[in-house]
Amino acid sequence: MPKGLLLGKNFSTLLYIMIRVRAYLLVSFLLLVQLSQAQTNNIYVINKGTVRFYSEAKQELISASSEEIKGAIDLGKKSFLFKIGIASFIGFNNPLQREHFNENYMETDRFPEATYSGKIIEDVDVSKNGEYDVRSKGKLKIHGIERERIIKAHIICKNGTIKIECKFIVPLADHDIKIPRIVMDKLAPDINVTVVATLIPNS
Amino acid sequence: MNSRLFIFIAVIVSVLLCTGSFAQVKHGAKTVIKDSSDTEDEKADVELKSLVDAQYRNSGAGNSYTEAIFKSSRVINGQSIENIPEGVLEFRISHRFGELRQGLETSYGFDNATTRLGLNYGLFSWLMIGAGRSTFQKEYDGFLKIRILRQKAGEGMPLSVSFVSAPSIQTLPSDVLVPSGTTYNFRDRIYYTNQLLLARKFNARFSLQLMPTYIHYNIVTTSDEPNNEIAMGIAGRYKLSKRIALTAEYYYRLPSYRLNGYSNTLSVGIDIETGGHVFQLFLTNSADITERAVIEETTGDWAKGGIHFGFNLSRVFNVVKHK
Repeated sequence: MPKGLLLGKNFSTLLYIMIRVRAYLLVSFLLLVQLSQAQTNNIYVINKGTVRFYSEAKQELISASSEEIKGAIDLGKKSFLFKIGIASFIGFNNPLQREHFNENYMETDRFPEATYSGKIIEDVDVSKNGEYDVRSKGKLKIHGIERERIIKAHIICKNGTIKIECKFIVPLADHDIKIPRIVMDKLAPDINVTVVATLIPNS
Repeated sequence: MNSRLFIFIAVIVSVLLCTGSFAQVKHGAKTVIKDSSDTEDEKADVELKSLVDAQYRNSGAGNSYTEAIFKSSRVINGQSIENIPEGVLEFRISHRFGELRQGLETSYGFDNATTRLGLNYGLFSWLMIGAGRSTFQKEYDGFLKIRILRQKAGEGMPLSVSFVSAPSIQTLPSDVLVPSGTTYNFRDRIYYTNQLLLARKFNARFSLQLMPTYIHYNIVTTSDEPNNEIAMGIAGRYKLSKRIALTAEYYYRLPSYRLNGYSNTLSVGIDIETGGHVFQLFLTNSADITERAVIEETTGDWAKGGIHFGFNLSRVFNVVKHK
């Protein structure tokens, strides 16, 4: 066997080992970076979201929505906070209805925003793609009045993003929003609310 | 003459500046109170809260336009900062009874009333047009009201500003106005009212509006009267409940820019809102309804019992279907 070939083989083996080691180092380094990132990047923020509510009364169907929802989830502490400006709701059946919503019912000047903050009860592993049904326990504040609520949510984890789909009822009486007798047939006492939001890691 | 105008403008500007700074101080204090008393915020993760709050602020979500500075498109007699929303038609019936001091004989003014019927329409969110006919001097009037600035709820614009231009034409037979044989041109029947409306909603209950007003008469009764009249109006609203508000409106006419023999106009009233209707009930010393007649030709005097009971009815119709 020619010497050169042996050397060549040894060399190629050396090269092979070196590449392996380097690759290993690189991989472990990347893993380390990712791990440390995962540790600091426990916070996910809303990238895009829609809140819609609808009132189904005997005589009238009222619906409005807003895309101005802001919020964040801290997966480490399992805590969250969502916030929306009441004045950002648009839709309604006519402009006057929107004015009444802000002026007479929500009193937006005094209570400009609604918030929901609390903890997620179940564990969610966002590193794996999958769907979860979780419960959140928190304080829902609407019209300046806080109510302790447990709200169920459907969570879809996909490629590092979290999508939340959630549906709940807001009884107007819980939040001291009074319905005048004259509009009893036009405004439902329980308002259906749906929230759809996509969260991404906070950069 | 010019120095007076200058002082006049200076006073308006200084008043506005004062009100603006006053409101900002109050706003700051309010935020602090809210934060310290908020139990939810105490428990919530501070880091999370500051993150969400920053996003919320950056998105401008808490910075929407202030709505319903006044309840109706008119304060009492004069225009308010409110525009009819786009695609909405408003029908207004304005009614002024005779003077209360006329007593039981006329049922405290019931027998001598002036009326105006008007239609207003919101062409765009920033432009409203309207027209009407009133019984006083058989007058037709039209107007457009343009939003220039809009107050915002959060930081930024502290007040709303609109411009109103309201020409009117009286159509009395000319032999009533001038001796027969005298020429009386069509242009002599025309009046031009131009107003700047500067309004601010200080809180959910209290709003204030200033109305510097310029009215041009193509012809005036006597040669020593000016053709250009200048007045300063001030109007306020205080909400007593969600649907009932107190209103007041006063027009001060500048001494060398006014017609002789008339009074400044003071009106006080209440707004009652029920769904698509607004009822405005008030007492005023003006018997008339168009701007030039209300501001420049008010005959009644509050001190002498020259007070009229009046009402405005407003009904809105949604003409264009909104999505």
